[in-house]
Amino acid sequence: MSIQERGASVPSASVSRCFLIVTISGRYLALEVGSVEAVLTIKELESNEDPTIRGVLDRTISLVMQLGNFDSQIYPATRVVLLADQGIRGSIRVSDVHGTLEIQPSQILPLPAQFSGAERHWYRGMILFENSIAMILNPTWVLEATSGAATGQEGGTPRVSGDVCAIATRDGRTC
Amino acid sequence: MLRMGERGRRHTTRSPRNFLVFSVGGRRLAVKTLEVAEISPWKPSIPVGSRTPYISAVVRQDQAVLPVFDLASALRLCVQGNNPLCLRIKHPLGDMVMCIDEEMPVLHTLEPAAIQAYRGKDIPAEESYANGLDEIPILTISQLGSCM
Repeated sequence: MSIQERGASVPSASVSRCFLIVTISGRYLALEVGSVEAVLTIKELESNEDPTIRGVLDRTISLVMQLGNFDSQIYPATRVVLLADQGIRGSIRVSDVHGTLEIQPSQILPLPAQFSGAERHWYRGMILFENSIAMILNPTWVLEATSGAATGQEGGTPRVSGDVCAIATRDGRTC
Repeated sequence: MLRMGERGRRHTTRSPRNFLVFSVGGRRLAVKTLEVAEISPWKPSIPVGSRTPYISAVVRQDQAVLPVFDLASALRLCVQGNNPLCLRIKHPLGDMVMCIDEEMPVLHTLEPAAIQAYRGKDIPAEESYANGLDEIPILTISQLGSCM
């Protein structure tokens, strides 16, 4: 009898990974779902009675400048993604949330070696997404950028607002 | 290690060499044909935040994602024409693309004696050749993006 037949879990290279696909200034970015605590609208943040949550808005950063773009306006679709990684918390403002995407590790493309600057710390790879690509953000870097926003609050179940969960990616791969 | 015999070496150095001559912002440049992978119509690139000089976008070609070397910016020029071309080159770190003028590149065959050292510092090129009054630099592909 094989290990699998006995029901033991076997670490496998084919374990799928799940990403939240967002847009910042027209660029698709992917955040590993494990590092996403919640996705909230600006209204939800402002009207939340929990002062810890309300305060998040003030400490939320836009990665627009760090990523070399300058459109940091807040639009109706603007969401705040609360992140946590290795005990550090922070939040980023994104233009739009497109849903979640489940892929096999083999579908993650490495950043081309010609990219030799600081961006190698920003990204963990790339995903083919629709007719474009989504860059996988390194949560460690994102949280370094939002280090002032650390609250130290322990996390619970990820809370995703509104219609985010219901959105399927256009190529039909959801998780 | 295998060593090429004297006869073979002489043959290699005296053989005509083939280049693809293209232009960026009206400036003519050459690249060894062996380092050219493909020429195709240019498709809009996808910006990627980056700190690497002149490499801050990628293009998607089917399932491949290729970095874009912004040669026009490196030369402080603008690509000419409404239908620019995509020159895919074989870089030692992996294929890379450049947006070039819409003027169709041409093949040139040169005798080794026509090739001279390029002394300019504006572009990664170690060799060039004279074409009338023009000096056409021959790009050193391996240096693109690494020393600019």
